[in-house]
Amino acid sequence: MPAQEGEDAPLLPPDTPLKIMEEEKPLLPGVTVRAATPERLVHLCVESFGDDGDLIDDSEYPSVLFLMHKWFMTSEELGKAFVDIYQSCDETILCTKPGCIHLHSNKGCEIQAYKAKICYAVRYWITNFPVHFDLDTHLKSVIRKFGTLVNSEGNHMFKELIDLSKVPSYDWMRNMSVRPGNSMRHNRKVSLVFNHLEPLELAEHLTWLEYKAFRRINFTDFKNYAMTASLKDNPKLERSIALFNGLSQWIQCMVLSKTTPQQRADVIVKFVNVAKKLRTLKNFNTLMSVVGGLTHSALARLAKTNACIPSETQKTMMEYTELLSSNNNFSNYRKVFNQCPGFKIPILGVHLKDLILLHTALPDRVEGNLINFRKMAQLSQTLKELTKLQNHEAPPVCANMDLVNTLRLSLDLHYTEDEIYELSLAREPRNSLSSVSETPSTPTKPVVFADWLAGVSPPDPNTINKHVHDMVEAVFKNYDHDKDGFISHAEFEAIAGNFPFIDSFCVLDADQDGMISKAEMKTYFFTANCHALRNSFKHDFHEYTYFKPTFCIHCTGLLWGLIKQGWKCKDCGINAHKHCKDLVVMECRSKQHAACNRRLDSVSNGPSPHQDLTYSSKRKMSQRQKRNRVHVGTQTEEAYFTDLSRHINGNWGIRDKLIAENKQLKEKLEQSNEQNIMLKSHLGVIRKNTIAFILEQMDALNIQRDTEV
Amino acid sequence: MREYKVVVLGSGGVGKSALTVKFVSGTFMEKYDPTIEDFYRKEIEVDQAPSVLEILDTAGTEQFASMRDLYIKNGQGFAIVYSITSLQTFQDIKTMKEQIIRVKGIENIPMILVGNKADLEHQREVPTSEGQMLAQTWNCPFLETSAKNTQNVNEIFIEIVREMNTSPVKEKRKCCSCVLL
Repeated sequence: MPAQEGEDAPLLPPDTPLKIMEEEKPLLPGVTVRAATPERLVHLCVESFGDDGDLIDDSEYPSVLFLMHKWFMTSEELGKAFVDIYQSCDETILCTKPGCIHLHSNKGCEIQAYKAKICYAVRYWITNFPVHFDLDTHLKSVIRKFGTLVNSEGNHMFKELIDLSKVPSYDWMRNMSVRPGNSMRHNRKVSLVFNHLEPLELAEHLTWLEYKAFRRINFTDFKNYAMTASLKDNPKLERSIALFNGLSQWIQCMVLSKTTPQQRADVIVKFVNVAKKLRTLKNFNTLMSVVGGLTHSALARLAKTNACIPSETQKTMMEYTELLSSNNNFSNYRKVFNQCPGFKIPILGVHLKDLILLHTALPDRVEGNLINFRKMAQLSQTLKELTKLQNHEAPPVCANMDLVNTLRLSLDLHYTEDEIYELSLAREPRNSLSSVSETPSTPTKPVVFADWLAGVSPPDPNTINKHVHDMVEAVFKNYDHDKDGFISHAEFEAIAGNFPFIDSFCVLDADQDGMISKAEMKTYFFTANCHALRNSFKHDFHEYTYFKPTFCIHCTGLLWGLIKQGWKCKDCGINAHKHCKDLVVMECRSKQHAACNRRLDSVSNGPSPHQDLTYSSKRKMSQRQKRNRVHVGTQTEEAYFTDLSRHINGNWGIRDKLIAENKQLKEKLEQSNEQNIMLKSHLGVIRKNTIAFILEQMDALNIQRDTEV
Repeated sequence: MREYKVVVLGSGGVGKSALTVKFVSGTFMEKYDPTIEDFYRKEIEVDQAPSVLEILDTAGTEQFASMRDLYIKNGQGFAIVYSITSLQTFQDIKTMKEQIIRVKGIENIPMILVGNKADLEHQREVPTSEGQMLAQTWNCPFLETSAKNTQNVNEIFIEIVREMNTSPVKEKRKCCSCVLL
């Protein structure tokens, strides 16, 4: 009987491989195994269930196993393991009932009882972790086959237990970007303008966005991050972190966009009130992002501004800084978080840190090849908390989609830490009275701190384009009262206030008629965003013919057809369906890399006068590199086609003609490309200088105004 | 007994948590529970003076820009770690000192530069001299370590305690003024 194997193990001769190690003091109720082979783990799971299908002594063992199994085996393997046990039951289980023929109709048959427990275990899996089944077709088919097997034995009661038809759909988890669901269309009337927004409204909508992004991150995403400590190929986690950082930056920019200390202090007070509401909503992750933004060095150094903040607000700030402080291993936060019942959003960073530490400290396998189940039990406590939101139906907030769209776009804006800090210096320059010691760095020196964050990129233009579209539609729905497709200048200005610093460069009302049309507004926001993004995160998709089966990066489906099956990015090489390519939310890695190098180089090349030059020449270089890459790409393609044509008809004449033509075209392309690049770099230099000049002038004016105030 | 807060900074994957684990593990061999309050605390004796260290390990939170600021604000001494097998991680930390100065608002900050993964000599991308040079410009000690072979692990923390003892930080006053601002 398998139940005895474990107890026998220590008595076996020393050369027999160990199958199980017992835990002396279980970490969790029922988790008595310290380490074991996968087969033993599955047996133990079956044996955690009583004859009536209930858990024996409320053991937490099955929930840990089902939650954690993907750490060491696929769901398909686990499913198969249950089927294997079921099939070998007749040999491994000893039925002591006299005269029993082991059919399901035999009451008290021990083999049938064991089989029932296997089905109870699988049922437990299906009801408690439906997401595993909906997202994994291999597992689904294993369990379906299992159902057929059970059914063929004539056991309909068991078949019922492992029915998959009630598994809810987790379709939303496959999408990277947060899209408004129809069910969320509450017609709550809210203002879209920051100045008119209530702190509660802001907090609720931020929570809604957070909830949507957080629950998409699945077990495998967490596991990959814990193992690699990198966000590469982890777009969902990356998106959530981008939201976190985006909010912190938005807060800093909103504060710094105001010209007088009092105005800046007012914005800070407003965000502290938002923080209060977030605390009430138990959204600790967004709270961390808000507090992180408010206490950031770019704001903390604003002496005049901080002098205008009422003491009450300062007290609240201190309270939250204390709550989220990393002191004593975040003990304040952990205490409060563990005591919170119901809906709550944990601080992602804190728990990721726990995962990484556990993974570093403990091996996955011990004593030869036994799975270290104690580690699994420990990891499960963190992962349970992190994946809890997946099963939460909805956050306790109602969202207005128009405001969500506006906010989402505001948070997409991307600045470097350095840009923000310089803004802060421009608002309240360092002086000899300031407690900050004498300029550790000259303000103009371009130090790019954002490089340290190389893993997180701003959202790509396609996403932004969609977000701009949604936002503009939302604005017109709410403010274009006579529905003529135009809004007034004043209304536009109010909305643009939500997007600090992007409005200085563009002339919006292109036809100068004093009214803003939808098209004008969209162009405006998109151009402004491109500027903020430095235009280097877009995929360069082109139609492509594959010579071996290739899968779409977005929907993971096969790219069908004989030729031109899909679209390939010229720079990073990802592949997608025609209809999926616009939905891909993944940064273009090779460009990202080039961008990083460029920034690093310009840093090492010293102060600003030379920077323009290095910048543009670097850009030229990277573009040339890109072109070379494209070149190589066409060559390989050409080689493929060469092979193909030789095999098919061996018609050399046509081939040569084509090659000659191809060459000619390529040369032409090269020439125009070169011209294009030259013009672009000219334009870039001119634009850069102009903008620098305008900015300087503006800052000078602001400083003058500040000092007057 | 004096208490020291040491922040371990560096890019993802350089082995920060491995160093931390090696250092604190002496007291917690049997059960690792990184969620308990004093998991990251350890008592060590430096130059005959017993001291308590609290390690603020930033592993896993490297990408969270505003959390890093909070960590730095809380810390007194800083161990800045790169991997000798990755030039990128060395480039990443070059601006760290400036950022710490920015957050702390003081120039004289106790810190140490650490090149980890010294056991992977055959994959080395950052020469020892490069690390020494950076440490010289930062005016701080430099160590090459291996969490795997427990090479120089305790030394990092002993050195940083020494640094904190020698630079009489006027932090108290600075901290208060920060709050008052």
